[in-house]
Amino acid sequence: MRLPRIFRTTPFRLTLLFLALFTAAASLFLAYIYIATAGEATRRTDQDIRREMRSLVDVYDRAGVDAINRSLIERTSSEKPFLYLLVGKDGRRVSGSIEQSPVESFTGKPAWATFQVTDVDPQGRAVKHPARGLQEKLSGGEILFVGADAGEDEAYVAQIVHALQAAGLLVILLGLGGGILVSRNVSRSMVSLIDVVERVRNGETGVRAHVRGARDEFDELAQGVNDMLDRLERSMAGHKHAGDAIAHDLRSPLTRLRARLEAAYIDVEAGKGNAEEALVQALEDTDGVLKTFGAVLSIARLQAAGQAPSPVIFDPAELAADISELYEPFCEEKDLEYAAEITRDLSIRGNREFLAQALANLLDNAVKYTPAGGAIMLRVRRRSSGEVEFSVTDTGPGVPDEDRERVIQRFVRLENSRNEPGAGLGLSLVAAVAEAHGGRLELSEGPGKVGEMGPGLRVAFILPRP
Amino acid sequence: MRILIVEDDLEAAEAMARGLTEAGHNCARGADGQEGLTAARDGTYDVMVVDRMMPRMDGIQLVETLRREGDRTPVLFLSALGEVGDRVDGLQAGADDYLVKPYAFPELIARIEALARRRDTGSVQTLLKVGDLEMDLIARSVHRAGKAVDLQPREFQLLEFLMRHAGQSVTRTMLLEKVWHYHFDPQTNVIDVHISRLRSKIDKGFDRPMLQTVRGAGYRLDA
Repeated sequence: MRLPRIFRTTPFRLTLLFLALFTAAASLFLAYIYIATAGEATRRTDQDIRREMRSLVDVYDRAGVDAINRSLIERTSSEKPFLYLLVGKDGRRVSGSIEQSPVESFTGKPAWATFQVTDVDPQGRAVKHPARGLQEKLSGGEILFVGADAGEDEAYVAQIVHALQAAGLLVILLGLGGGILVSRNVSRSMVSLIDVVERVRNGETGVRAHVRGARDEFDELAQGVNDMLDRLERSMAGHKHAGDAIAHDLRSPLTRLRARLEAAYIDVEAGKGNAEEALVQALEDTDGVLKTFGAVLSIARLQAAGQAPSPVIFDPAELAADISELYEPFCEEKDLEYAAEITRDLSIRGNREFLAQALANLLDNAVKYTPAGGAIMLRVRRRSSGEVEFSVTDTGPGVPDEDRERVIQRFVRLENSRNEPGAGLGLSLVAAVAEAHGGRLELSEGPGKVGEMGPGLRVAFILPRP
Repeated sequence: MRILIVEDDLEAAEAMARGLTEAGHNCARGADGQEGLTAARDGTYDVMVVDRMMPRMDGIQLVETLRREGDRTPVLFLSALGEVGDRVDGLQAGADDYLVKPYAFPELIARIEALARRRDTGSVQTLLKVGDLEMDLIARSVHRAGKAVDLQPREFQLLEFLMRHAGQSVTRTMLLEKVWHYHFDPQTNVIDVHISRLRSKIDKGFDRPMLQTVRGAGYRLDA
């Protein structure tokens, strides 16, 4: 049989554990109370009996057996709460309030005994009381027994024990009840979280945990779960978008490639073929597809790793100078004015290869979109914040304010540039490189409109202090 | 040239062997690392093309074992793993070059021929000569038909690489890797401009151009 859920919850189990500990502590405490009260009452009775015994022995030692006998008769008739028995040397009862000693097998050493004494209550009925007494041998050979009614003490002790039992029961009931209450409360919060997890597992990725606003750890957990789900969903959407985009960007060149090969095949088959042209074109198309593929792979790996592989600390000026040397002739060829403004002796930490590729992509883009007669500038400087900024500014058509965020997204190319060659992955890869280095990308307007040109685009690649 | 292909993908290996045979080379094949190792120990090859990930023994282990045994046959690694770290791992194991899959066939041939050539020129040369083009590596000077050619440092390195591989096709990617030391493909053909500048310096005023464009592959310096 399975226990109801409430009994299987961790809070309830914890409650039980604490209850056990608490009960143990309470038992110790109650035991102490018992010893301090009931035990104390018994001790006091014993002490009284001993004192009475001493005073009687005193009488005997001073004045002999007759004196003690008298004293006993006196005391028995008064209201003293003691029970007495004096037994002569011959073993016969001399006097006292009880008939027979409750001490069995008396050796002569002082001996204690607990026994029942029969009394008569005001209504004339016989009532048995518990009693306790001490028996000693007197120096003359007579035996003296002094006892006391322990009934009152016993009742008191019984009362205390009863009270303690009640208290113990109350502790357990309160603990159990409290435990159930707390567990139910905690369980309710947990159950709602478990429910969310279960539903997400079953594919309902849009479900979110309820944050009650109590700002406790359950709210924190719920918020954490929600943030995690948001991130996962974004990432999944990103992958789906990337998948769609890959399909889109790979399909057109592959379709073109297929058509070219088909045409070449038909030509060759018809015997009028110089298929060479088509094949060279086909190879170029294939290279384009491979480049796109490579870029997708790089982005995916960077994003999966979350950080740049094998980073080193180096001077960004060298990197910028190297890249400038690679691109300057290319710009001149395209009738673009190229300038580099490089601050020396800065240092950055990162993967040289990826950073070089990022700069190359920025320059590729600038060259691609800037019309002949325009200008491109590469700049490396330190920001007042201590960050190092690479920026590439061109005098091309720029990117409208509202589209800037979008162009960084994977594969997004603005509609008016759809006909340009290129995979549309350039900026996405740059953004991925920046992110992997703990940096970021900022797009802003270039130098502004000059004649037919402009307003241009300025892309800043910002790296944190190493 | 005798080439050993160690590749577990049968189709890829056959396509490669066919292409290399057509290009006039002699191919042998090992279907996994263990077979490759046995083949490499038994035969003499000019170049080995080794796939990185294979059953039984992977490419790294294979090359490490061969190098430990003193086999210095040039090795070209083929791999689907193209990250910087993967490349470094491959080269550290003792491979001489690294080509990421998928690759263009001319790229493969160009690299294999470059590796074989590297083996020939074991001694340190200080003077390179291709046809009437001469390069003095100590004086850092270049002459064509006795006429001095003035080159920028990078153009000098570019020409040096082309001269060391004269008569072979070299791809743009190879140039970017070996001359500029970048391992990525720019979206635009930045290399072309550097080649055309170099061409204008060494071929201008001469009837016969030495620096040829090879369609679909790259460039070639002919004597």
